[in-house]
Amino acid sequence: MSQGFSLYLARDSGLHRLHPLTKLSLAATLLVAAFALPGPWSSYAVFLLVLLPLAAWGKILPEFLRSVARSVLPFALSLFLIQGLLWPGGSPVAQLGPLSLKAEGLAFALASTGRILMIVSSFLLLALSTRPDLLMIALAQRGFPSTLSYIVVTTIQIVPYFQGKAQAILDAQRSRGLETEGGLRRRLRALLPLIVPLVLSSLLDVEERAIALEARAFGRRGTKTSLQVLSDSRAQSVLRWAILALAPLLLVAGLVR
Amino acid sequence: MITVQDLTYTYPGATGPALSRLSLTVPAGQVCAVIGANGAGKSTLCHALTGFIPHFFRGTLEGELRVAGLSIPDTQLAELAGTIGLVFQNPFNQITGARFSVLEEVAFGLENLGIAREEILDRCRSALELTGLQDLTDRSPYDLSGGQMQRLAIASMLAMRPRVLVLDEPTAQLDSAGTEAVFLHLRQLASTGQTTVLLVEHKLEWIAAFADRVLVLSEGSLAADGPPRQVLGSADLERAGLRPSRYTLAARRAQELGLASAAPLPVTLEQAVEFLG
Amino acid sequence: MARIRQDFGTLTLVMIPVAIAINIAVGQLIYSLKIPLYLDSIGTVLVGVLAGPWAGALTGLLANLIWGLSGLNVFYAPFAAVAAVIGLMAGLFGEGGWLRRWWKVILAGLLTGLVAAAISAPISAYVFGGVTGSGQDVLVAMFRGMGLGILPASFGQGVTSDPLDKMVTYLLVWLIVRGLPSRFKARFPRAGGVV
Repeated sequence: MSQGFSLYLARDSGLHRLHPLTKLSLAATLLVAAFALPGPWSSYAVFLLVLLPLAAWGKILPEFLRSVARSVLPFALSLFLIQGLLWPGGSPVAQLGPLSLKAEGLAFALASTGRILMIVSSFLLLALSTRPDLLMIALAQRGFPSTLSYIVVTTIQIVPYFQGKAQAILDAQRSRGLETEGGLRRRLRALLPLIVPLVLSSLLDVEERAIALEARAFGRRGTKTSLQVLSDSRAQSVLRWAILALAPLLLVAGLVR
Repeated sequence: MITVQDLTYTYPGATGPALSRLSLTVPAGQVCAVIGANGAGKSTLCHALTGFIPHFFRGTLEGELRVAGLSIPDTQLAELAGTIGLVFQNPFNQITGARFSVLEEVAFGLENLGIAREEILDRCRSALELTGLQDLTDRSPYDLSGGQMQRLAIASMLAMRPRVLVLDEPTAQLDSAGTEAVFLHLRQLASTGQTTVLLVEHKLEWIAAFADRVLVLSEGSLAADGPPRQVLGSADLERAGLRPSRYTLAARRAQELGLASAAPLPVTLEQAVEFLG
Repeated sequence: MARIRQDFGTLTLVMIPVAIAINIAVGQLIYSLKIPLYLDSIGTVLVGVLAGPWAGALTGLLANLIWGLSGLNVFYAPFAAVAAVIGLMAGLFGEGGWLRRWWKVILAGLLTGLVAAAISAPISAYVFGGVTGSGQDVLVAMFRGMGLGILPASFGQGVTSDPLDKMVTYLLVWLIVRGLPSRFKARFPRAGGVV
């Protein structure tokens, strides 16, 4: 089955079998930790000692590294160059032509990159190993509104359809040589009028989609049941609470420092 | 099962009524086809029978409208869903998008109705078998062809076990293979006699082969009502702005030339062969 | 609370995923054509204008969270609050009838862009060190080269990019809403500001 544009990769692994909320708790706590942990090296340590092993356990290590690299490397490059070279009044460490790399800039870039690395990779780990619809169901079982679940899962599934429509516009423009020949103004003038009909036609479908949803009793107030059963255990429940409890502790420790 | 008496409905902001003193009665288990020219009020009727008129579209509604024992204007949409089902033209718009697999998509309505999990599985399996989708349970709904998507929409409705199923031109956007599959599965459903079916369609030959009764709508009112061959061969059809099937036209021509007797005119190929034979 | 619930009729609810998908599809299209705009909030502004501030805010919030947390472009996630404010403002401008005159449309875009830049700057500076790995970083480099601190440089980048982007967004939404059949617009009680 295809899952819209979600990154989820099905694997037979312990990580995949974990309850979705367990993995979400980990990502949430690591998010807090990214801001609360001291020094630049702790983030890299967490990445190497926690996230990489988990990715390996989930049998998604190559894809994980690829996704992380794709997201973080351009950012890191930009950061090191801009903050490294242009740090005002910094102490030079190396020469790069007329400019010099400043120590403060590099230190800053190192810390920021570490933080982003930790955050991005923990959420990518979650995305790669968790079916978004099951995550939404898990949240709904904890009281998350079903309207929000509907929005998230439906968006994930229909985005490729809209990307396809946009791609068709792009291809049409390319066949007219617009991307290579057209100057900026020409590209804009050709493109913008195509956005309006794209959106208009999409909106007119909305009424029918609403009718279809109502016909499936979506507007019913009473209790709803669920076909999917998520495997969970006492141990995981305890683990979740333990992980989440770390977050405020880290936060306090970070503030005190 | 369906009782409509002097139904008059006007869309909000419209100059005239879309349905005008329409009256009809459909007994339980009947398969009733509705035909009419564009603008005759067919979709309006479908929306009225399923409660979207007046609850979704607002507007002014007068007259009596009872389906499956419920008074439509006095019953909330959420109450009607499950008892009365609706399938319409565009297959893509009927996929909720909220579920990743065909099986879960069919189960969606049942989950909303609060049906127990075991029963959900049972109903989904039989609905998927009835529509020939039993081998596609794990497929993403968006990975299906147009015809398969439409069958999925029908299966999703069937799983809810509605007492009345209204279909508004379900094969309009499908190719001939898709159309044939849909009619085949509708015929199987109709043969169980447990669901009253109201089908709006343009494909006269299919209707003739499969409906118990044909209603002709014209300008918001009923222009003809009777068994398929009688209605589809009569002049009421042209008066309502519709074209009879080519076999009907050919048979009429044969009658004019004295080559055939004044039996009920055929609509389908098989009937034409029998007629001329 | 009741007013909020009224805003979220099924029609609005169904519109939101479509609006988010429009955000993403158009945003990516613009990016691949190397046009120096974002145009990633068209859906958000549209929902705000048609269905009100709360629906607009929710659309923006979820759009960024989904775009980011799905892994499609992680850098969108921290700006969810900004997107929510964009949707909120669009709803307020819609209710205030600002979309009745083309010059007010442009002004609404300008104001939204300025507010967006102001809220984005601290997020960009604190979470990302002032840089996003996109073409707009050239502006950040320029401001840093002039000796500006990280926060002012981020704000400088935002103020240069966001207002223009939002003005174009609002104009497109204005054209779209004008092109909608009045029967459709009548379904949205709040669209009285634009009909």
